[in-house]
Amino acid sequence: MTGFALWQRQILTIVSLEWKKTLFAKRGLWVYALAFLPALLFGINAIRVQNQRDAQMEIQRAAPNAAAVTAAIQTGMSVDDVTRKLVDDKVPFTKFKRRKKFEFVRYSDGTNTWELMFVEGKLTEKRNRDEARLSDSIRAFAGAFQYFFLRLAVFFGCVGIFMNLFRGEMLDQSLHHYLLAPVKREVLMVGKYLAGLVATIAIFCTSAALQFALMLGAHSSREVNEYLAGEGWAHLVSYLGVTALGCVGYGSIFLAAGIIMKNPLIPATGILFWEGMNWFLPTMLKQLSIIYYLQALCPVVAPLSGDIPEPLKLLATTAAPIAAPIAVMGVFAAAGMVLTFASIYVRKLEINYGAD
Amino acid sequence: MAVYKRTYTTYAGPLTPPRTRFLVLPRYCYERLFQSRFLTGFLVACFFFPLGCAGYIYLVNNLSVFTSMGVPAPEFLKIDSSFFRFLMNFQGAMAYILTALIGPSLIAPDLANNALPTYFSRPFSRTEYVIGKVSVLFILLSIITWVPGVLLFILQVSQAGGDWLSNNWFILRAVVLGQVAWILLLSLLSVALSAWVKWKVVAGALILGVFGIGAGLAGIINSILRTDYGAMIDLSRIMYTIWSDQLNIETSTGLEPFEAWLSFIAVCVICLLMLERKIRPKEIVR
Repeated sequence: MTGFALWQRQILTIVSLEWKKTLFAKRGLWVYALAFLPALLFGINAIRVQNQRDAQMEIQRAAPNAAAVTAAIQTGMSVDDVTRKLVDDKVPFTKFKRRKKFEFVRYSDGTNTWELMFVEGKLTEKRNRDEARLSDSIRAFAGAFQYFFLRLAVFFGCVGIFMNLFRGEMLDQSLHHYLLAPVKREVLMVGKYLAGLVATIAIFCTSAALQFALMLGAHSSREVNEYLAGEGWAHLVSYLGVTALGCVGYGSIFLAAGIIMKNPLIPATGILFWEGMNWFLPTMLKQLSIIYYLQALCPVVAPLSGDIPEPLKLLATTAAPIAAPIAVMGVFAAAGMVLTFASIYVRKLEINYGAD
Repeated sequence: MAVYKRTYTTYAGPLTPPRTRFLVLPRYCYERLFQSRFLTGFLVACFFFPLGCAGYIYLVNNLSVFTSMGVPAPEFLKIDSSFFRFLMNFQGAMAYILTALIGPSLIAPDLANNALPTYFSRPFSRTEYVIGKVSVLFILLSIITWVPGVLLFILQVSQAGGDWLSNNWFILRAVVLGQVAWILLLSLLSVALSAWVKWKVVAGALILGVFGIGAGLAGIINSILRTDYGAMIDLSRIMYTIWSDQLNIETSTGLEPFEAWLSFIAVCVICLLMLERKIRPKEIVR
């Protein structure tokens, strides 16, 4: 057996050896924790919303006039007047202070949850905090997916898994076993990359699907069915595809970093910074990042993070949306280029265990 | 003389006084650290901003050029709490980068090479070991954070006079307390993380990750669970709240000062527990 058939077989052998090592490694447990943390939060939220719905039903039974109380509460009223009114109508509420001069009262009228903000004792704002709206959950999911899952969980997960493929074996002093085998270095690199890809896609796509399911779990079956019959399934497929593409893109970069750099942290920090400031880059430079293509494929555009200061928000630029096929091709092209570049280095790879 | 023929006797030379024994560790650490030209260069770069601030303070207090022209001095040119908060933010960020560079190499190599029994076979306790390792960072970070802050405060007082001091004395307390708290947090965190992972590279990644992922996680906790308490795991926001409170500046971080202090204490306690668990005078031979 020679040529391509041999390489194919060698790649398959390496993948079958490596994927289990990567997927079930004890030192990779933190990747699971990182990947499934959002799912845990969506699960907690589903239980919380369910409990809230039960509490609202209870309020509807215990205080049938609660809705009328909401109409009676007007801006300018004092804290004491409002709380007296709620007590008189047997509507349960919570009261707390923030930042010295702000006071808040939260209550549910059986249909909606309200938050009343008092500044220096006077009611200034009445906010509807209905936490059981599907549209809000979809937006929260989009925000969590784009700001945490893609930019941090998938990013750091790929750092951990792909950098470990070569650099980890160097530190474990076990890479020479591979290098002594009659396998081309490029074949070894591709095999390891594919194994890493199998592991990361399995972990992160499972997590994304679970998050989506738990996000919908907080809502009534009627709402969920309507959403799925409309654009729900398409959204799920898009999120899974974007996750897989994220693994393809970031995986190639961190595999190359693990081969080329002795301390892969330096490129990881640099790339994290570059990807993080993507909002503020001109369109031309945006195209040199993975997140630009991934963002273009996300079905719901998450608003700019509230933590970004207002002056910086003014600097944020929105690039013209690019077509999905171009975005997909962009990620694959970037991964291909990076791997080609890494294959030049892997041919010259020398082991010096002592130096690590 | 062959080693096996050597007779071991009690050490009879001079002993380091017990109170300052922990300083032996920083002494040798600094020798090793400053062999790196990059690190030395970075440390020097950390003083550029305070130097610029000193120039600014001098300029703001000598605006006679405006008054000589009969034009009132611009309102924004003033030295107040906000100026010192900006200084604390900037120097705090530099301290964080310095910690990420130095922190990983503090304990991880000792554990990787099973060197702890060698330390503890000497008259050196676990507490002294931890204090010694923490003081490596504490001393170095102090030089770039609260020490320049205090010097700039003194410069401002010398320029602006006693009235300014009587109205703004709390800034001095805020600079010292705020920056010492930040240094303590960074030192304990990096030493604890360095003790839990054998590889320097991974320890460095963890130090970076704790801040980045903590902030991200805080954001999604707030957005998914519709709360503000997620900020309690965002270390940079915790410190920003503490600094702002000390400087009497209103902020909207979503945290009350006592909640920020509570989170700060919790993180420090967790780090100490991590160290207590890991720093043991034993060697694992496989």
